[in-house]
This record gives sequence, structure tokens and C-alpha cells, in this order.
Amino acid sequence: MLDENQLINEDNIARAKDLLACMERGDEQGAREVLEELARIRETELYQEMGKLTRELHDSISAFGMDNEIINLAKDDIPDARSRLRYVIELTDDAANKTLTSVEKSIPLCDGMSKNSRTLNESWKRFIKRDMDVNEFRELSASIDKFLEDNTEEVTVLRTHLSNILLAQDFQDLTSQIIKRVIDLVEDVESNLVNLIKLTGSSAAKDLPDVKKPVHDTSPQGPAVPGVDQGVVSGQDEVDELLSSLGF
Amino acid sequence: MNMKILVVDDFSTMRRIIKNLLNDLGFTNISEADDGNTALPILKKGGFDFLITDWNMPGMTGIELLKNVRADDKLNSLPVLMVTAEQKREQIVEAAEAGVNGYIVKPFTAGTLKEKIDKIFERINA
Repeated sequence: MLDENQLINEDNIARAKDLLACMERGDEQGAREVLEELARIRETELYQEMGKLTRELHDSISAFGMDNEIINLAKDDIPDARSRLRYVIELTDDAANKTLTSVEKSIPLCDGMSKNSRTLNESWKRFIKRDMDVNEFRELSASIDKFLEDNTEEVTVLRTHLSNILLAQDFQDLTSQIIKRVIDLVEDVESNLVNLIKLTGSSAAKDLPDVKKPVHDTSPQGPAVPGVDQGVVSGQDEVDELLSSLGF
Repeated sequence: MNMKILVVDDFSTMRRIIKNLLNDLGFTNISEADDGNTALPILKKGGFDFLITDWNMPGMTGIELLKNVRADDKLNSLPVLMVTAEQKREQIVEAAEAGVNGYIVKPFTAGTLKEKIDKIFERINA
């Protein structure tokens, strides 16, 4: 007795004989009916096989928990990464502008100081050579007095600009921390995609490692990004308030 | 006045910024470390009067460094100022509970650094 799932079985042998007999006696209609019946049997098998594959794929995806992970990536993580990268642009823009503003204010100060020194130096050399009358010397003396006073003030302003330039460089630390988080996210997306490919290529999805990473409440988060990070203080004032509420 | 200070941050740019600001405030005896693992042995050698540390660093984080310092018999009274971009409320509370003496969030100003350092030492000397 032959298996009924096999192509060669008693029923199909009978159908084939029937088909041959119809053809030999020129029964066009009869031959067509036998062929249609064979095609119908084949289609039913195909549908059953497809149904089985679909069920297997669905089961694998559900067992792996990938559907949720991918939804979270698309729904929250990618837009978060976008906001973080936009914030990086903001921080670098801000730092560049602060630096440029300080430099633009410092250069005229340096030029002015340099020009005043040159003028004084010329007069001073004439004085050394005794090539100067009393009135000119009085003028020189007043100029030296003014120069020394202005210089003290200008150097203080110049120092402030240099301090501002120094502080503006904090963007490197802050943006790097944000970019590192985005790199972690890209790695997550990558491992999810790799797993998805593995899953569609093989049904052995249950052996794949869990790609979810642990979340600790106080683990380092990097700089808070406005509109993205929750439960953060908005600045030093709030830190001070919180600490003073704790008895600091 | 010229305290020996250890500045711990994984970013050399930030260490340079803090070092320069400290120089402006008159502190010139400054050493550097790039995470808790390198900082702790330096601190244990002794001689430091003040520790300024970041939180988020590879290897040993700033909060772990703080806990290690507080757990060490010789270092437990060392004043610690945290200068970090970490600004979740739970984190600030955790740092306070671990015994931090001051907490500054990045980005910060030269004025804030001076104010917090003054406050820490006013309290210690009171």
C-alpha cells in the first residue's frame, strides 16, 4: 500500500490510466476533467505547505520576541537618536559661536594694545636719544600713564575672553557621551537586523542570544537631552535645591 | 592654600578645562587620572587634599570611585566634588547618599566651580 501523500499512489495510478484511456479514445472532455482533478490535488498540497511555513515563521518570531523589540526601535529609539544627534549639532554650534565671538572681541583688543605700544616705543626711543622737548615729554608721560591704566583693564577683558574659549571646549566631552549612546543604539539595530536575517533564513531562532540589554536606574546616561530624557534636573540650580532638601 | 588635587575624567579636554580653571583659582598642584581604576591607586599613595571626579567613565565610574574612597580607612574623609553630565534625580540622590561633598552638572561655569569649592572647604573648616 502506497502513502497517500506520495505522488505515486493507487488513486493517482487509476487517474493516470483513466487519462491515457480518455486520450486514446479521443475523449477531449474526459481527459480535461482528469487533468483538472490532478491540478486541484496539487494546489491543495501547496496551500497546506504554505500554511505550515507561515505558522512556523509566526511561531518563531513570537518565541524570539523580536516583534516588540523592532517596534520599540522604530517607535522610540530611532526618534530618540535623531533628537540626540540634533542636540549634538546644537552643542557644537553653540561652542563654535562662543569661541568665535570671544576671538572676534579679542583680536581688536590685541591690535589696539599693539598699536599703542608701537607709538609709545617710538616716542620713548626719541626721549632716550634726548630728541624731545619738555612739552612733548609731558605728552609722553601722560600717554604712558593712560597706556598702563588701559592695559590693565584690557588684559582683564582679554583674560575673560580666553576663559570663555576654554570653557566652550566642554562640548567635546558632552557631545562624545551623546554620540556614544547613539553608537550603542546603532549596534542594537545591527544585531536585531542580523537576528532577523538569521530568523528568516533558518527556523532555529530559539538558539539565538537575547539581545535585550539590562537597564539600571542610576547607570551612566550621559548628558540629558532636552525633550528626550525624563526625570532629570534642568540645571545647577535644581541640583542645589535637591541637595539642600537632602540636608546639604 | 595650594592643595593637592586629583582630577578624574575620561576626556582629556575636560581635564584640561578643569585644570585651567583650578589654576585661575590659584590651585597649581594638580594630578590627573582617566577613570576610577587609575585614580584609586594614585589616591591610596596619599597626599591628596581634594578629589574632583566625573561620573560616566569606562572601567570604574565616578560613583564607584566615591564609594571606594568612603570605604577606605585612610581616604574616607577626603572631600569629593562630582563634576558630571549625569543629571537624573536618582543619581544625585545616590551620590549624596554615597557621601559626595558637592555636585556640579556639566556644562558649568568658572563661577560655579569656585562657589562649590569654597562651600565645601568653608563647611570642612567650620
